[in-house]
Amino acid sequence: MFELSYLKAKSLSEATSFLSTHPEAKFLSGGMTLLPTLKQRLARPTHLVDVSALAELGGIEAKGGQLVIGAITKHYEVAASAVVRKVIPALAYLAHQIGDQQVRNRGTLGGSVANNDPAADYPSAVLALNARIVTNKREIAADEFFQGMFATALEDGEIIVRVQFEVPRRAAYEKFRHPASGYAMTGVFIAEFDTGTRVAVTGAGPGVFRWTDAEAALAKQLAPASLEPLVVDHTNLNQDIHASQEYRANLVKVMAKRALQKLLNT
Amino acid sequence: MPGQLHAAFLRSDHAHADIVSMNTAPALARPGVQAVFAGSDARAAGYVRFPLMSNFINRNGGAPIKSDRPVLAHGKVRFVGELVAMVVAKSASAAQDALDAIEIEYRDLPAAATINDALAKGAQPLHAGVPDNRSFIWEAGDADAVAHAFPGAAHVARIDVVSTRVVASPMEPRAYLVSYDAASDCYDFHTQAQGMAMLRWQLAQLTGLPEEKLRLHLYDVGGSFGQRSSAYPEHAALMMASKKLGRPVKWVSTRSEGFLSDAHGRGIQMSGQLALDKDGNFLAARYDFKCDMGAYLTPTGCSGHLRNVAACMTGVYKTPALYGDFSLVHTNAAPIAAYRGAGRPDIAYVVERLVDKAAADMNIDRAELRRRNFIPMTAFPYTSMTGGVYELSDFAGCLDKALKAADWAGFAHRRAAAARTGKLRGIGIGTVIEGTGLGRSPSDQIALEFDAQGKLTLCTATLSSGQSHETTFTQVVAQSLGVAHEFVGFCSSRRDNEILGNGSGGSRSMVGAGSVCQIASQKLIAQALPLAAEALEVEPSQIKFAHGVFNANEGGKSISLEALARRLAGTHPHPMNVLAESSVGSTYPNGCHIAEVEIDPETGVTQVASYFAADDCGVVINHSIVEGQVHGGVMQGAGQVFGEHAVYDRGSGQLLTGSFNDYYMPRAGLIPEIRMDEHPVPSTANVLGAKGVGESGCTASLPTLVSAVMDALRPLGVPELDMPLTPAKVWHAIQDAKAQQKVKAH
Amino acid sequence: MSKIELTVNGTKHTREVEDRTLLVDLLRDHLGLTGTHIGCDTSQCGCCTIHIDGRAIKSCTMLAAQAHGANIVTIEGMAQGEELHPVQQAFTDCHALQCGFCTPGMIMAVAALLKDNPNPTDEEIYHGLEGNLCRCTGYINIVKAVKQAAQTMK
Repeated sequence: MFELSYLKAKSLSEATSFLSTHPEAKFLSGGMTLLPTLKQRLARPTHLVDVSALAELGGIEAKGGQLVIGAITKHYEVAASAVVRKVIPALAYLAHQIGDQQVRNRGTLGGSVANNDPAADYPSAVLALNARIVTNKREIAADEFFQGMFATALEDGEIIVRVQFEVPRRAAYEKFRHPASGYAMTGVFIAEFDTGTRVAVTGAGPGVFRWTDAEAALAKQLAPASLEPLVVDHTNLNQDIHASQEYRANLVKVMAKRALQKLLNT
Repeated sequence: MPGQLHAAFLRSDHAHADIVSMNTAPALARPGVQAVFAGSDARAAGYVRFPLMSNFINRNGGAPIKSDRPVLAHGKVRFVGELVAMVVAKSASAAQDALDAIEIEYRDLPAAATINDALAKGAQPLHAGVPDNRSFIWEAGDADAVAHAFPGAAHVARIDVVSTRVVASPMEPRAYLVSYDAASDCYDFHTQAQGMAMLRWQLAQLTGLPEEKLRLHLYDVGGSFGQRSSAYPEHAALMMASKKLGRPVKWVSTRSEGFLSDAHGRGIQMSGQLALDKDGNFLAARYDFKCDMGAYLTPTGCSGHLRNVAACMTGVYKTPALYGDFSLVHTNAAPIAAYRGAGRPDIAYVVERLVDKAAADMNIDRAELRRRNFIPMTAFPYTSMTGGVYELSDFAGCLDKALKAADWAGFAHRRAAAARTGKLRGIGIGTVIEGTGLGRSPSDQIALEFDAQGKLTLCTATLSSGQSHETTFTQVVAQSLGVAHEFVGFCSSRRDNEILGNGSGGSRSMVGAGSVCQIASQKLIAQALPLAAEALEVEPSQIKFAHGVFNANEGGKSISLEALARRLAGTHPHPMNVLAESSVGSTYPNGCHIAEVEIDPETGVTQVASYFAADDCGVVINHSIVEGQVHGGVMQGAGQVFGEHAVYDRGSGQLLTGSFNDYYMPRAGLIPEIRMDEHPVPSTANVLGAKGVGESGCTASLPTLVSAVMDALRPLGVPELDMPLTPAKVWHAIQDAKAQQKVKAH
Repeated sequence: MSKIELTVNGTKHTREVEDRTLLVDLLRDHLGLTGTHIGCDTSQCGCCTIHIDGRAIKSCTMLAAQAHGANIVTIEGMAQGEELHPVQQAFTDCHALQCGFCTPGMIMAVAALLKDNPNPTDEEIYHGLEGNLCRCTGYINIVKAVKQAAQTMK
């Protein structure tokens, strides 16, 4: 790790103003991605601004058809939360599938969403649950927020405060773990709303995306058979030593069918 | 240590390149930096030539070509991760920080990261003295006999497989601390090792220093698996630094460095042909082995891949004619050393796959074909055409035990049941054997010594890195002496210059050092007997020793060994102290493993449904530890079968699997349960009757698990697959087979 | 530099360290608690697992500064005097370690797992051990040890 200075922010405004004066500073929450990156000397921030104890960024609350989760809420807190388990159990399940117990005890919702790793679990839920990402500056719809591999709508110095998930009728998540890293080689989150069904896919492509063909098919009939005839275009998917594009395309469909079956069983 | 400095290494990020220029001055100017070393320093020190633990001679009388390997690269780099420079500073972070300041310019050369690329016509040679990138060509067996036998065959089965290059990955990264003592002109090493004698000899060979100048201090080791069988460039680089600076110098590897520069394992491309008569009797077998040695030969890499492969090339089968052709090939990749089994799992893998292939081709039950060709008990000792001399085993008995326990006969029901849930179930079998017992040190010594309180300590040079010698060696002594287990203390590293013996490796610790534990105990009893007589005031001829007690024939007088030891504790050295020494012959642990798998055809995921191991590791000293060794070995094999693979980018020679994020490691649950049964046939090659167990799990699980996967897939028309059997690979194979079937159907 | 105050195994410590110092380095190099091991640098192996405020975390993926004010338990704090923690005892009884390098982290992970889930199924044990690698045991006896510890801790 290169030399750097650590700063524990006492308030959100202190954190953000610090970042505006130090353009090479970075927010630090759980650090589950940032710290390994720093250890590999792949990034060189001058300062780390620890926001993990800011009360403004915490909390889990269900209100008005929404589930609102603070950005610094740890994965294990989401997984164990009675509120989350009652309102959107699929989200609690997803949180319990992230990384490993040690990661879940440190990693945070805001950190994961802001980082937008193409194989992270959370972005699929955020997108499928039509969430709104509330920052210190504005609200951003999930459809606008994720902009491809590690890219988001966040501007410099902008920080996620909370994520407002729309509560679905039913939802389910199915993940195919990467055999080495445990990230999602493909994860599919399906959420059924009064207005229709949203299907979000993570891990398979360069960034989380909605599988609109599936959404259209499921609008006609919410059944695995609706997905059967669909062909996932593999040409835009990821390819690496672990899995081909075709294999990932297959996983998209298989995980979607399994998620849907799970959804229908709830 | 007081005054300790820290080293950090600049490693090549080019797979094959000339070093055009290097400027270390800016690094030297960084805060805390004490010195910077480069290839010229290594050349000047003469630290350029690693020894080989090999006495192999090829047909033309040549030995493997030992190419220079300066401990810091000089003029040229040959793999990504090779040491280029060393910074020594007051703290590890200061040393690390200064690495960035070293200016270095490379001129790339074409890189050959795979065996085929290195052997291709026009491939860039890595070493001046090895124009075709083959540092050694060797053969075993009788080519003429094989050539003669093949034309008469009713069937010839063929297979081409690769035992994939893997990263050993013991959980403890390497860490060395070297301190030079000017007064005695000696170096003290605090290092991990698999054996005192083996490492010290290698370091002496590498540096040209006499062994007594190299003092090794060894501690608990966090796993070895062959990776620690070699002296490494970092050892010698730290010696240069400590001598020049007059201070101890420490280096702790990161895992990322380890992936690049720890010796890798396996990496053998193998093809085999097996000739059978119409009844499935083996007539002859012929193999070709191209062994990836990486950029440089390591002390243990080449010998293991030759000797251990040749010794068991016939497997557990009588094969009248046998021949193997070997090439040791240089590639622009990390050097390869011994890795759990060191050639033994590799040869078992190709032999067993070939037998499975023959069974499938000829439509003979796999177990039956094996039984038909087993070396019968009446044929021992059995000398194979490629040099193995098996002392005594019961292959058929082991097979029967396994078939029964695994319910081989009832498999069809389980396959049908799986099919009803959409799963493809397969059963696999491996009947394997492996040679062990040999060591570089001509003998093993064990000292049994009593301290001033009469407390006994067992001293050995055979260091444990998880093999539980502290439990098993002391158990042998305690049982032989008839004393409580707690009475026997253990020391495996204290007296480096006094006790000889081999390190842990090749499943030989119990066979070699363990046997000497028994011999030492008997020597101790013999030596103590007159002392007991003296104590009991009777003639030695009147004393009998039994269950830890010296008894006088008459008068009911007796003294326990422990009491005698305490009674004599005042004298120094203690009169009951013994040093025993012995060498052992080769022995051959063997076994039959049977596994079942279920494959999800939608995802290609393979679940291991059951695993049974019947092992003949000779007389078992400690069942729990034998079981633990089998568990670990089986799982390490499973890792290689289902995902472990060190992959280099073909063009750039960059390691694509350079961390646990990309390099698959077996995790809890990969094999939910391993059932085990022992089938001990005492070895006649050592006093314990032990055959060894460290590598048998791994040797058997490679072919067994692949056999099970192939059995699940064969009905679909899937052709022979090879490791690693990742979900993606299995899924693609199923898709390809379905497409073929469709084509056929039209 | 950061001034770090924390409680480790019941003892309060204060140390001044570089801001970039990892918690695991603080524990090992500054407090001499070398039972916590470092097996990788990408947060995969779990050898460095400790408890912070009762939960398992990887101390290689946390700055010492982030642990300011924390209550930490390392492997050295598990046994009560001569009496091993039930998870330690189970590992001993079940021959759940060979080289022992992963063991401290494994034990800390298991203890935390059982706290969250005192009666785990096999699948839940596998899931709970996702973050811990072992190269020696094949995990078979580790899983046995988890079950034994679960029994004794009931």
